Amino acid sequence: MSHLRVPLGTWIRTLLIAIAAVVMTAAPVFAAEIEIAVGAPERVSVGQDVEIKALLHQDGAPLEGAEVAVTYQAAIAGESGRVELATAVTDATGTAIMSFQQRADENGEMQVVYLGPDDDPVKPHTFTIAVEAGGEQLYQQQTGVRIPFVNGTLLIVVISGVWFLIALAAIYLVRVGMAGRITDRPSSEDGSIWISVALAAAAIVTAVGMVIVFVRAPVSNTHITDPDGYDRTIVNYLDVSYPYEGFGLDDDSDARTGDPLVDGSVLYFQYACAACHGLTGQGAVVGGALVDEIGSLSSFADDV
Amino acid sequence: MDTLTNWRERLISKTSRPTLVTTYRYWLWLALLTVVLINGMYQYSTQWRNGLYVTDMRDRISWGLYITAFVFFIGISHAGTLISAILRASKASWRAPITRIAEFITAVALIVGASFVLIDMGRPERILNVYLFGRWQSPIMWDVMAITTYLTASIIYLYAPMIPDLALYRDRLSKKVGTVRAFLYRTLALDWRGTPSQLKLLGKAITIMMLIIIPIAVSVHTVVSWIFSMTLRVGWNSSIFGVLFVAGAIFSGVATLILVMAILRRIYQWEEYLTEKHFVYLGYLLAAFGAFMIYVNINEYLTEGFKLEEAGEFAFRQLFIEDFAVMFWFYIIGGLLGPVVLMLIPKTRTIGGVVAAAILVDIAMFLERYFIVVTGLRVPLMPYEPASYAPTFAEWSIFAAGIALFCLLITIAIKIFPMFAVWEMTEEHEAVFAGADRAQESMATSGAPNAAAFIDGAPDQRQRTEGDAP
Repeated sequence: MSHLRVPLGTWIRTLLIAIAAVVMTAAPVFAAEIEIAVGAPERVSVGQDVEIKALLHQDGAPLEGAEVAVTYQAAIAGESGRVELATAVTDATGTAIMSFQQRADENGEMQVVYLGPDDDPVKPHTFTIAVEAGGEQLYQQQTGVRIPFVNGTLLIVVISGVWFLIALAAIYLVRVGMAGRITDRPSSEDGSIWISVALAAAAIVTAVGMVIVFVRAPVSNTHITDPDGYDRTIVNYLDVSYPYEGFGLDDDSDARTGDPLVDGSVLYFQYACAACHGLTGQGAVVGGALVDEIGSLSSFADDV
Repeated sequence: MDTLTNWRERLISKTSRPTLVTTYRYWLWLALLTVVLINGMYQYSTQWRNGLYVTDMRDRISWGLYITAFVFFIGISHAGTLISAILRASKASWRAPITRIAEFITAVALIVGASFVLIDMGRPERILNVYLFGRWQSPIMWDVMAITTYLTASIIYLYAPMIPDLALYRDRLSKKVGTVRAFLYRTLALDWRGTPSQLKLLGKAITIMMLIIIPIAVSVHTVVSWIFSMTLRVGWNSSIFGVLFVAGAIFSGVATLILVMAILRRIYQWEEYLTEKHFVYLGYLLAAFGAFMIYVNINEYLTEGFKLEEAGEFAFRQLFIEDFAVMFWFYIIGGLLGPVVLMLIPKTRTIGGVVAAAILVDIAMFLERYFIVVTGLRVPLMPYEPASYAPTFAEWSIFAAGIALFCLLITIAIKIFPMFAVWEMTEEHEAVFAGADRAQESMATSGAPNAAAFIDGAPDQRQRTEGDAP
């Protein structure tokens, strides 16, 4: 069987030829890889306009005309996926600038992804941006009529006036007790004014407490401190990635009538979208318009 | 004056009888109420453990029997305001025997009513968030503010005119009752001696409270109605809801007062003080408010029905001819029209007739609260089938416990506090003896005149009191 023995040199030559063949065959592929570099701020606050710069190179040269998007991972109604924040097309220098307003008070994992026109898979560039919660409340009712003197301050005056009178009556009762005290009587027969003192104290404390609650009420036309410096109530912004699971449907046939409009309506309410985004999805005080995102209740039903 | 003295002694004796005499029927009644209350507490414990799932409230009909009870009890709390404050301010002398009972109903109904808000909460421990994160744009917050104010004011308004009577109990009953109640009378009487300065101060306190409690009470039920009417929901979206709720509150408050009066009158033989005149006068009030409620309802439904928007059709159908028709027509015919008719017919213008009218009114007003709450939520906002709601056993048990608590607190109060404003009643009676001129003077607006005359051990203060009375 020795005539079948292959010399080591032959093995080495064959291996080198094979490697050379593979390298030659795959070279164009490696040469075509698109590289994404990202320039993004490390820290932003809610309400701030954010600019993400993506630089694309192919084969070491700037890639022009490529569409990219910035996305983040989110979940809604038990469904999770990536939410697209902005898109842009690279210029002659291979640069794409994507802008969006920071709405969520957290972003999770963000990515700049290549959208084409090349169909070859391109590894997205993953990064994070630290978000400072609080900041600007993005959705506020814009309509309203400001009537001079008819405002929260007037209400405070009225409430204070009422409670002043209640406290005054209670103080009169304290004085009733004090006026009836007889010092030379045995103390065991003495009454007490503590009950009226307690009433007066309760009235005064409640009155003051109500005014304090009132004054602290956040961001409203009755708020008498500086709204810009106010940061107490957590406001949920659009795009926040709370994994809302909902209660589900007792009978899911409600959402399977075959009429996509009806199905979409049921789901839209069942998953409480309407609570923030309004009955028609066109925006409300808390949540903005979803019309662009979900298209219509029919397409929403399809998506869900 | 001997007759007046005898009359006053008899009044004191009759008033203090519940405090001094306890029959086995009292204990039986107490036991019954306790059983109902404990059952309600147990049912609430299941709700606490398992959440609101034990009720039939769901995402579409999220308010039910609890909020109905809340609105109903807050409504009947208006009894004290109307009878006591408005009649006191208008110097209606016949009010004297019924003011104290009415004021107790107010305080107790408020406590019970407010507790139903907590019961309705799936996470009651979060009530503190109302104070920590309260937003004044929310009608719920307005409600918290209004009820807190009303409850505080009502307690002071109940307590202030009772001080002379508590002093009377301190002097007369301290040795006949246990040490706890003796201590209570001594403490609550605030060293009342009926001195001129005390009279003056008490008069001021009562006058202040009398004047402010009326707008507070009106604001309370207006704000309760705003919880509904500030919502863009068919059936609730109404500008007349405030009027409807306030009128309905006084209506049901007077009816409840009549029922409590009738029961106490029968049990404690108070026929001499709670006379047919009082019942008939209150019956007239019922009839007047019944007529007003009919007017407000016509105004509400005719204007809405004439315009009838698309979603309104469903609301009207369920109320007038479908699911809630029986309730609605009982409310209109039995609860609103019935009392008017009963008071118009001379033969039914009796204590029995008035009590029957009061029963009808209380049932009707409860049903009205129920169908306002439930039918409003039942109107579909989107094209799906309307939800249904039927209170569960747990809900009925807790509601029954609320009624039991109301009765229990009244029952206990009867055992401790004077249910008649003895000094006011004596003063009124005295005025009859002393002639019209004296009556005019002594029923002065402050409401705290000759109370010193009825404090034992201070007979010599009589002259001073009369001289200094406002």
